[in-house]
Amino acid sequence: MARSKPPENALNTPANARFKVGDRVRVKDLPNLFYTRTQMYVRGIVGTIAACTYQDVIPEDEAFNRDGRLEQYYIVRFRQKDLWPEYQFDNDTVQTESPERWLDPVDN
Amino acid sequence: MSARNELRHQQELIASLQPALHVPQNWNYEVDGPLYTAYVHPPHDVGGQFDVPVVYEEKEEEQWELDTYVTCEVLGWRGVWNSEERRRRADNDLGYALYVGVPYYGRWILSAARMLVDKNHVPLTELVEKIAEVKSRYGKK
Repeated sequence: MARSKPPENALNTPANARFKVGDRVRVKDLPNLFYTRTQMYVRGIVGTIAACTYQDVIPEDEAFNRDGRLEQYYIVRFRQKDLWPEYQFDNDTVQTESPERWLDPVDN
Repeated sequence: MSARNELRHQQELIASLQPALHVPQNWNYEVDGPLYTAYVHPPHDVGGQFDVPVVYEEKEEEQWELDTYVTCEVLGWRGVWNSEERRRRADNDLGYALYVGVPYYGRWILSAARMLVDKNHVPLTELVEKIAEVKSRYGKK
């Protein structure tokens, strides 16, 4: 199962990846319908690419057995304070994984 | 009310009477944006939601849970379904009430049964009759 493999060379950016480690991205706020794995709490929030992991089928396809369309996955790091304004500690972060289509570039 | 355990019990009972927002919904003709968003929200996306304190239980898997796990994995190995993403989607498709109302592996086994019926691996009538037969074998209604 590809998804459970540890990221290999996760800090290297594959040639065809849209984003590289350190890029700032905003998670798209697409409508939910039937299935997704993009959490509501990261929608519209800006984070930083922490790793380029691997290419895999996106959840929205795999959930309905549409195999074959591979997409680059990234680990995106968010500041806890950006997610939860009442959060008390400035330096804490949380990371989630996302396929490329859910991410928009943010000008640095 | 001098006994502290009595006090605690009474306070918990009082707290349980606090008003809660619960508006019955039944075939609404108008569903506003936030309510629609709530309806189509995938049940597994719980991050950041408030919850009551939950007692942590050190609990071994029960036999039916292990059986369920193996059954679902074997169905995956045999290509009947993709054991990760489609099982996860099927869990969500149970709907919110069932998703939160049954144990973790309860979702799995209901999803597996639904999938086998959906894909015509077993007729629903045959499945229901089999469940009835097994229940009666164990003396359950």
